[in-house]
This record gives sequence, structure tokens and C-alpha cells, in this order.
Amino acid sequence: MAVGSSVLPTPVLQTAPPVGDWVALAPVLLLGLTALVLFVIDSIDPDDASGGGALAGTAAVGTLLALVAAIALLVAGIGQGQGGALRLYGDQLVVDGMALFFTVIFTSVATLVIVASYDYLRDRVYQAEYYVLMLLATTGMALMASAGSLATVFISLELASLPSYALVAFLKDNRGSVEAGIKYFLIGALSSAIFAYGISLVYGATGQLGLEAIARSLSGGTQLVGILGVGVLMVAGGFAFKTASVPFHFWAPEAYEGAPAPVSAFLSSASKAAGFAVAIRVFAVAFSPQAVVASVDWTLAFWLLAAVTMTLGNFAAATQDKVKRMLAYSSVGHAGYVLIGLAALNSGQNGLVLGASMIHLLVYGFMNTGAFLFIALAEYWEVGRTFEDYNGLGTQAPIACVAMSVFMFSLAGLPIGGGFMSKYFILVGAVGTGHFLLAALLLINSALSLYYYSRVVRSLWFEEPADSLDIEGYPFGLYGAVVGAAVVTFLLLPGIFLVSDAAISAASALFV
Amino acid sequence: MAVAVQYYLLLSAAMFCIGLLGILTRRNALFLLMSVELMLNAANINLVAFSLQYGNLTGQVFSLFVTALAAAEVALGIGILLVLYRNFGDVDITKATTLRW
Repeated sequence: MAVGSSVLPTPVLQTAPPVGDWVALAPVLLLGLTALVLFVIDSIDPDDASGGGALAGTAAVGTLLALVAAIALLVAGIGQGQGGALRLYGDQLVVDGMALFFTVIFTSVATLVIVASYDYLRDRVYQAEYYVLMLLATTGMALMASAGSLATVFISLELASLPSYALVAFLKDNRGSVEAGIKYFLIGALSSAIFAYGISLVYGATGQLGLEAIARSLSGGTQLVGILGVGVLMVAGGFAFKTASVPFHFWAPEAYEGAPAPVSAFLSSASKAAGFAVAIRVFAVAFSPQAVVASVDWTLAFWLLAAVTMTLGNFAAATQDKVKRMLAYSSVGHAGYVLIGLAALNSGQNGLVLGASMIHLLVYGFMNTGAFLFIALAEYWEVGRTFEDYNGLGTQAPIACVAMSVFMFSLAGLPIGGGFMSKYFILVGAVGTGHFLLAALLLINSALSLYYYSRVVRSLWFEEPADSLDIEGYPFGLYGAVVGAAVVTFLLLPGIFLVSDAAISAASALFV
Repeated sequence: MAVAVQYYLLLSAAMFCIGLLGILTRRNALFLLMSVELMLNAANINLVAFSLQYGNLTGQVFSLFVTALAAAEVALGIGILLVLYRNFGDVDITKATTLRW
């Protein structure tokens, strides 16, 4: 697995266990199929006699099956090891360790969010549309992770984005939700236009859209460095929008605050991970550092983005009064941590630091989803949005508050959840590749983040509750999702080594 | 003789910049949608022009996908615009200010 080897695809010596296309794509197909089944259920029973139970149950079973399929394929070694990645449909789709790893993240987040949505959506109309949109978005994300050409990247990115716009504006009578929806939509449309223009410029410089074909075309050098450079920067801008990184981050606090909390959880975890999945593949395979850095040094751009994103996200989070908005800015900060993996691609040991970013996205998928679902629980109880409104919740709902404390400390990077180990991996990777300044910024920002995360914990446990604090009911679905996310976050602290090997070898395989 | 490819690039860059300027200066959400269309079509011009230049059909086929996606995006955008109008009584995006940072 020599890192400096040629970018030309190595000849396939020994094929992986022969599986049909439909087996390799089983997670994606299951997600899409579940969306169609939900349409059928809705057309058979539009009045929804079961109160949304049938819809939520079908959706949850579908995502769970996709999750199981992705894990099974990952364990079976499909598209990994000697045989190399499985290339389907003329290299338009690639199924490899990275695609399956990210599919595990998306389907886990989607399962948690759908289980929680059952209680959140009770007594609301248009439930079927909600679940269908969420499953279609998840399908788009799973496709993003296995996109093999810029054409499939663009189409799957839109398949993930368009349902997200509608989901953010789902509460049609709520002014905040609609406002968040229009802002998210407009910035998303702008960034997808920039992304499309960037793709057209890359096509102009290389004459190819397939990721490996672009790498082959660029390995001989190109005369059109200017066009290629602008194109690469514009493509990076499109990913910055999807991952809520700095130049295009300002939609994130608005969209996450205005959207229904389960949708915020879904967007800030799964959608961000999808953006990173496709950014990692495009930049590691198509514009691979060995071929392009001499002419277009995009790692410098990612270095700057990482530094600015994590600093700005954390400082903005520290000044917020509302918990949901604080979490939104903290998710911007975490995008900065993950960007370190892309910034460090120009030096050796790429697999380690990129794998560390993927591990962080996995852990983040659970702890951040859990934190937003706790907000959903608070919205369900209608306790208010600021830190003060959360005062004394620990006396009334101790189990959920223990879970929230686990999420907060894990997000800050204390050894109470997997967040500690994943940040440690990123730190080791950054130091190992010689990016000491980024490593130092990571440490400083984590220390700063402890301040605002612990404010939540203090409110929950140590402040006196307001007299009016009275919560009604303990919704089973929301509780189950929050507690489940907390258990996984906690288990990922000792169990991180179960996933770290898969992530690092999946990342290393991109460079072979 | 055919038009040289750099003139197509100039045309598409001009269209892209006009669209970007429209996004930055307009307040009416409908005009913002039109500006985004202009930017997406600038990408289409590039794709078709370079497709001719390289003699492969990849760019032309992809431009069809971009057109279809632009239509889907506008359909969704108009839907969101409609609920914006119902809630705020206007399609001026600067009027929607319930969330502030």
C-alpha cells in the first residue's frame, strides 16, 4: 500500500468474491425501495388510521435493513482487499470500504432520526411525505458515498439536497421553519450552481467526468492550469456548502435552528458526513495530491478552511444563548476538525489521518444526532430554547439528561464517549503528517468547546428549576433514540478499535 | 470555421457573473431563482462547448442532467416560496427575519 505509487489504477489481479451488482448496491436499493413502499402505504391508507405507526415502522425497518446490509458487506470484504473496489456501470458507481463505511453512518443516523420522529410528528399532517423525503435523502447520501464520476456526484448530491430543503421547511405554518427553508434552499441552489460550473471547468481542462479518468488525464500534466484551478476551487466550494464549512457555513445555524429538531439532527450529522464522503473521494481520487498539487495546491485551501472553520465555529458557539443554535455552530466547528484529514493529504500517512476523519464522522453521527434529538425531546416538552430554560431538567428526566451529558462531554472530547478517541486519532494523524499548527488549533478549540458544552450540563443538573417547569409524558420513540445514541457513543470509547481498522484501511485503499 | 472554444468560455463566464450579481443584489426570491438558472445554464454552455472540443458526448449528456435537475430545483423552490408568501405576505427575502444571529 505504498502511498507514493502511481495514480493509475493497478491491474486487478484477483477479483473479490463475485457478487451481483444488486448485492453490492443492496443498501442503496433497500433505501430507495423503502421510499417507494412508503408511497404505496400512503396511497392505500391516506388517512393514516395507525397515527403514523405503520409509516414510521416501515421506514425504520428499511433503514435498519440497509444498515445491516452495509455492515454485512463491510465485514464480508466486498470491494476491499486484494480485488480492489467494485466498479459498476462503466465506473459510474464504486463500491469499496469507504462507501460502505459511510453508508453505515447514514443509515444509523437515519434509523435514530426516524425512530425519534414517530413521537415528534404525532398529530401532524403529511407524515408520509416526511418519511419518504428522509429516505430519498438517505438514498442520495448512500449514492454520494459510492459516486465514481462527477456526473453521479452531482446527481446524488442533488438527490440528497432537494429533499433536505423540503424537510427544513416541513412545518409550513411555523415562520422560523419556512424562513430557514428558504435560506437553506437559496444558498443550496447557489452552491450547486457554483458546483456545476466547477464541474464544467474541470471537464474543460480534462475532457473527462469519471474520477479515475480525470486522474489519468491529469497525471500527464495539463496546459489549462488556470481553468483547472478555478474549477477545483469551485468544486471545493460546493462541498463546503454540504459540509457547512466556512465560506458557505452561514446557512447552517439558520437551517438547524428553524428546522424541526429531528431534521436538524439528520442534516447536521448525515448530510455533513455525505459531503465529506464525496469530497474525500473526489479530492483523493480525481485530483489526487501526487498529480495535481504541483499545479493546483488545493490542500492549502483546505488547510485554511480547516483552521478558520473550527475557530469560527467554536467562538460563535461560545456566545450563543439558545442551545440549538449553539449545537449548530458546534457542528460547524466539528466540520473544521474533519477537514484536517483533507488538509493533510499532501504528505505521507494519508490513510491514517483520513481514516481518523472518517472515524470522527462516525462517532459524531451518534453523539451529535443524540444531542439534537434531546433538543427534539425538549421541543416536545415545550420547555423553551435557551440554556436557562433547561435549568433543572435533570430532576424531571434523569435518564435523558444523563444521555445528554454523555453527548456533551463526548463532543467536547472528554473520555466519556467515543469523541475522545476520534479526536485523539485526528491529533495523532495531524502531528504524524507534520501539521503541528492544525493540531494545536484542534487542542485549543476543544478546550474552548468544553466551556459551552459544560454550560448545558450545568443547566441540566446544577441549576434550580423554574417553577413553571413541568414536563408531560416520556415519549418512547424519542427516549429510545436518545438512549440508543448515548449507549453507542459510550461504547465507541472502548470499542473504537473495532471500527478504526476498517476506516483506516478503507481510507488507505483510496491511494493504492 | 467553428467558433473557438475560448469565446464560449467567455460567454459562459459572463452569464455566470450576471447570475451571481443578481443573487447578490436582488431581494425578490423569484429573481434569485432566475439568477440561479442563469448560473446553471452557464455551466451547460461550457459543457456543450467542451464536448464539441473534445469530440466526446460526456459533456452533452451531463448538460441534460443539469437541465433536468435545475427544473426539479425550481419546482421545489417555488413550493418553498409559496409557503414563504403565506407566512410573511411577501416574497422579499429580507423581510423574513424571525431568526437572528
